[in-house]
Amino acid sequence: MINIQEVTKRYEMGSNIVMALDGITLDIHEGEFVAIVGPSGSGKSTLMNIIGCLDIVTSGTYVLNQIPIQEYDQDELADIRNQQIGFIFQQFNLLPSFTAIENVMMPMTYAKVAKKQRELKAAQLLQTVGLGDRMDHKPTELSGGQQQRVSIARALANDPAIILADEPTGALDSKTGKEVLTLLKTLNSNGKTVIVITHDQEVARFANRVITLKDGRVASDLAKEEVYV
Amino acid sequence: MFKEYFAIAFRSVVAHKIRALLTTLGVVIGVASVILLMSLGNSARTEAANQIRSIGSNLIYVSISDRQGALPATWLSEIQEKAQISAFSEMVSGTASYQVDGSNVDVSISGVNQYYGFVSNLSMTHGRFLNEFDVDNNLPAVVLGSKIPDLLFPNQGVLGNTLYIKGMPFTVVGIVEERGTNFSGDNDMMIYIPIDYTRTMFPMGGRFKTFYITAESEENIDLTMSRVTSYLSNYLPSSNQYRIFSQSQILGVLDTLMALLTTLLSGIASISLIVGGIGIMNIMLVTVRERTREIGIRKALGARRQQILVQFLIEAVIITTLGGIIGLTVSYIGAQIITSITDFNVVLGWDAVLLSLVFSITIGVIFGIYPAMQASKLEPVEALRFE
Ligand SMILES: Nc1ncnc2c1ncn2[C@@H]1O[C@H](COP(=O)(O)OP(=O)(O)O)[C@@H](O)[C@H]1O
Ligand SMILES: [Mg+2]
Repeated sequence: MINIQEVTKRYEMGSNIVMALDGITLDIHEGEFVAIVGPSGSGKSTLMNIIGCLDIVTSGTYVLNQIPIQEYDQDELADIRNQQIGFIFQQFNLLPSFTAIENVMMPMTYAKVAKKQRELKAAQLLQTVGLGDRMDHKPTELSGGQQQRVSIARALANDPAIILADEPTGALDSKTGKEVLTLLKTLNSNGKTVIVITHDQEVARFANRVITLKDGRVASDLAKEEVYV
Repeated sequence: MFKEYFAIAFRSVVAHKIRALLTTLGVVIGVASVILLMSLGNSARTEAANQIRSIGSNLIYVSISDRQGALPATWLSEIQEKAQISAFSEMVSGTASYQVDGSNVDVSISGVNQYYGFVSNLSMTHGRFLNEFDVDNNLPAVVLGSKIPDLLFPNQGVLGNTLYIKGMPFTVVGIVEERGTNFSGDNDMMIYIPIDYTRTMFPMGGRFKTFYITAESEENIDLTMSRVTSYLSNYLPSSNQYRIFSQSQILGVLDTLMALLTTLLSGIASISLIVGGIGIMNIMLVTVRERTREIGIRKALGARRQQILVQFLIEAVIITTLGGIIGLTVSYIGAQIITSITDFNVVLGWDAVLLSLVFSITIGVIFGIYPAMQASKLEPVEALRFE
């Protein structure tokens, strides 16, 4: 489903050139729960931005569900993000002046889903993540764990096949972090492909596969059994 | 789909209501000043039109230069029937000065016949106008404009009192109702006496003889004018020797002038609209910058460039339209105030409502497009990184 070949991403800041990704090749299949780990600055977020079609490669190819991503323009990428990918961010990235349900409805608005249907679906999703009684609360009226669950509901709005989470527990205490990971695990058991970026080995325990990055390269790519023997 | 865009934009404006309200200020001032000036101009036009109409819309002025005396003295009587003239009066005018509280006051003296009161649509508050007997027998009778009694006869009875004009005593027989000022000067500072007196008082009289004519009906005013013209052309070889124009022609010219003035003033006022628009643009640019992260989030969730563009454009238009509505309210209040403290009756019509909406929407589109484009062009990754 995700096919990355010899991908590089180069940032130039004046005379300073950073190879954030320096030749990455990997395949991720449907239904996997992948953790991408590595030290800070190793290129994890950059890789996620590329997988999530938020950014484009400097060289190499990225094929998502048979779609050669580099041949698509901004608006087509917007549609792909909207339909195929659900994002979960470390800082939640909810819109502060909108209620929980309005935040969850947003991807459906851009997918031109009718209003009635949007409301129904968003309410359903908030119910599923355990926030049925918090739908009309603004993000500031919710705890960190609750906000992250709103953003998980939002990520699920258009039934994407892939859930991308960049440090989803980074801003949470370990207990709520665990709850969030359990939720992601449940999604995975229901068939979603889940990719979690983390520098926390504990978090990686939830995954079936752990990819370690170092200096923009894949340092190791192991199934769970291999990691924790 | 427009409904969706509108809902998103509306929601965002509501979320930032204080800023939105402050942003409207420029448009409020712009719209209020344009609408108020325009309404003021239009009210002044109506006012002027009413004033002229009150003098009589059947009225025709004829001004003749006839040094050789080619025209018979009784020329108007001759064509009265054929030209469908109901009444006429020649006017010979001059001025006299009076000392009032140590300063000179000029009073216009109009020598007319008994029909002038009718021709010029004068109403009397006291007494009567000059009558046939006064005029035929050249009696020293005088009719005063409405400002004269207080000026020349303070704290005295006026009717029957004596007014000296060029050293000659005249008996006051009537006072005219207030008429206001128009192109022929301050009508309330005029006095009327039998015409033969003015012929001797002002023998030079000026190069032109002036006649006031009332046509029998407003519909036949063109016929009257053409008959008079063709008659005059028989006696006066050069068409420079006579001018003939109707009240409605004057009204037309005046109206055109005032319309021009109104347009000019509103044009100047609309500069403030442009200034307001630039204010909107500035604040929208700041808004776009401040909401970079929001834009990044929206893009990550699948917003296309055009959707972001339209959202911010509609936000700008909502804000300016709000400004337009507030501006309209302000100008409505302004109109009420002006109407209550001045003689002007300032009315805001539906055209003002429509115009302020058109103005404010246009300003929103013109000055909102650039910030909206900036918003739509943001790269999603860059925008998401924005703190
Ligand atoms: N927009 C950018 N401009 C310049 N350098 C960048 C940019 N984004 C990331 N980098 C650099 O690329 C490298 C990888 O960054 P990142 O993918 O964020 O690492 P991680 O998420 O693993 O901490 C870092 O050295 C970082 O400084
Ligand atoms: Mg990172």
